[in-house]
Formats: sequence, structure tokens, C-alpha cells
Amino acid sequence: MSVRRRRSIFDLLREYVEEIETLTDEMVERLMEKPSWDVRSQSLEPLCDVYVSRDKVIVTADLPKADPKSIRISPIRDDLIEITADIRVKINFEDLGVSHRRGEFTCFCCRVPLPVPVEVSGAKARFVRGILEITFPRKKGYEIKVE
Amino acid sequence: MFSGEVKVIEHKDFPEGLKIICGLPDVGLVGSIAAAHIISKLNLEEVAYIETDLLPPIIMLENGLPRTPIRIFMGDGIAVLNSEIAIPSDAIYPVVRGIINWVWKKKIDKIFTLSGLPVPNRHELEKIRIFGAASNDAMIKVLKENEVEIIERGFLVGPQALILKYCVERNIPAITLLAETFYNYPDPEASSVVIQALNRIANMNVDVSELVEKGEEVRLTMRDMMRRTQAELAKMRKSHEYDVPGFYIR
Repeated sequence: MSVRRRRSIFDLLREYVEEIETLTDEMVERLMEKPSWDVRSQSLEPLCDVYVSRDKVIVTADLPKADPKSIRISPIRDDLIEITADIRVKINFEDLGVSHRRGEFTCFCCRVPLPVPVEVSGAKARFVRGILEITFPRKKGYEIKVE
Repeated sequence: MFSGEVKVIEHKDFPEGLKIICGLPDVGLVGSIAAAHIISKLNLEEVAYIETDLLPPIIMLENGLPRTPIRIFMGDGIAVLNSEIAIPSDAIYPVVRGIINWVWKKKIDKIFTLSGLPVPNRHELEKIRIFGAASNDAMIKVLKENEVEIIERGFLVGPQALILKYCVERNIPAITLLAETFYNYPDPEASSVVIQALNRIANMNVDVSELVEKGEEVRLTMRDMMRRTQAELAKMRKSHEYDVPGFYIR
């Protein structure tokens, strides 16, 4: 007769974490399975990154060939911003070394989710060496006093 | 060929005593961009490819003809290993082991691995620093003689980490050159810095001016490969390189 071992809380936690990791991997892979360009809106999706520190959220985007004056950063929701920028010269697939596709691109466009609450009105942005950097102060919540 | 095997299929004979330069996808695609530039500038010829079922079912089409994504190019006494795709994190161990076994059998003289060291404020850096690591003391001496700062203590994650590890096991002289770079943006400027260091160390003369001038084109073209590489870097816990190693008693 087989003895059925009871699973400990640690086994259950480990299984739960593994399940979350698998779901996250699947979600990332699904997001990857779309092109980084859109011929209809003539836009390229730039590479973006989000860094969260103790008091700031820093969003960066790689915008090569972007016209600095055309860069727009628009808050869509409290936790989502949209970055758009015109490209200085039109780019077509042939410029990217691809001859079997048709279409040209005139702008960058992406939406970046913000992982923690920020003060959008206090945001600052700069464009250095083709990299856009937006710094948001983090929203301050209730502070717990140490007795 | 059995499932999971990694083989190097040669179109041409390899002379003994070659130097091989590895530029596999990693942070900032520093190695990939550098390898592609060296192949193009020295007009190297494709001489071998990596055959394995550990990679996704992808071929590269060139003039309508299929090419395998990981290939070796050769000319002027050097060979360059380059990959057109992000290597899946779970294939890195067997792929690198297979390549280094082949390198050992071919009696390759030295291996140079070109890559990057991620720094969070890369876009603010006026001057990119270059760091090095090696498979033995003689190669560390070569790095020092060429004014490359040695990484005294720290973690290395990814293909270049395994190349060094297997080169130590096989007693193959190997040098890793790492330029400060972005974690997830293609960085042709950092590639130009590693090529300049390679020029000094390996007595080569690869012009990098075009790479710097056409930097924006390179960044646009490499976006998709960077996106795929970033997903694999996260799976192999690349951020471990930022970690401070534990307490060490001398």
C-alpha cells in the first residue's frame, strides 16, 4: 500500500511560485509574438525600460534618428504613459535590410505601464544621445513612525 | 545526429593555430554587432555552421538560400563566431560546450570573447571603460600589458561566462573583453570600444569609424534581436552581474 505524503506549506508555496513563473513566461512570450512595427500607423515600437528606485521611477526609451523637438509624453492613465516621436527621415523596410516587405515608418510609438504610483505633474524628461529619460517622483503614502 | 547534440559542420578545412573571436548575443548586443562588423570589414567567408535541434526551427534567408543562424566565418588567420538569433537560455550550456569541444579538437590558438558589462547610467557616460577576464594567468598578463582593467571579483553570466569556464577545463587560452554598455539597448559605440581593444591585443586593424558614424542605423536594425535577447537574458538571471559577491576572507 502506498503512503501518501502530506504536502507542507513550503511545497505548496514552491508550487505556487513555479506556477506564477510559468504564467509570466507565457505572457512575455505572447507579447513577443507580434511585430515591433505597424505599417498602418507607420510606426516603430522603440525599446523601453522602467527602473524603480526608493523615490523615483525612471522610464527610458531608445529613439535613434528621432527628432528631439517632436517627442511627446502623454499620461494615458495614472499607471500608463504614451511616448511618441517623429523620425527625422522616413525609413522603409529596405533601409532595414528587408526587401520582401512593403511599408515605411515615420514615427516611434509605445505605451509604457508604470509599476508603482507616481506624481505625473512632477515628471522631468531629457533626451541624451538618442535615449529619452523620463523621471517621475514616486507618490508618497502614509508614513509609519518608529517608536 | 541524436536529439540535443551540437555539431560544427565545416565547409572548409581549418588550419591549426587560428584565433577565434566569439560575438554571441548578450547585453547591448556588443559582441553581435562587433562580430558582424569584423566579418563585414575583413570580408570573411562563411566556413562552418552549428547544427543542433536545441535552437528554434529558424533559418536565415540570404538571396533566397537558407543559412543556419549560428555560423563561423574565416580569413586572414582569424575565425569569427556569430549568431543571427538570440540563443535560448536553456540551449546555452550545450551549445557553448559543443563549440569549445570543437575548438579544442581544432587546436585553436586563442579565443577572444567580445561582450558588454551593463551599467544603469550608460547614456550619461562620456567615456566607455573596458574590462577583461581570462582563462589563465598568461592571458591576464596580456590584458594588463594592453591596459585593460581586470575584473578582480564579480559575477559573469551568459555565453562568455561558459566560454571561459570550458576554456579553463580544456586548457585553451581565452580572453573576454567587456565594454560598459546598456542592458537592453543595442550599443554600437561599446562594440567599437571592444574592437579597438581587440585590435591592440590581437594585433589586428579593424576600422571602427563606420560603426560609430552609422550608430543610429545599427540601433534601429538591431531592435528586434535585442528584444529577443533581453527575454533570454532575464531567464538566465543576467541581473546577477549587478550583485555584490558575498563576504570574502583573504
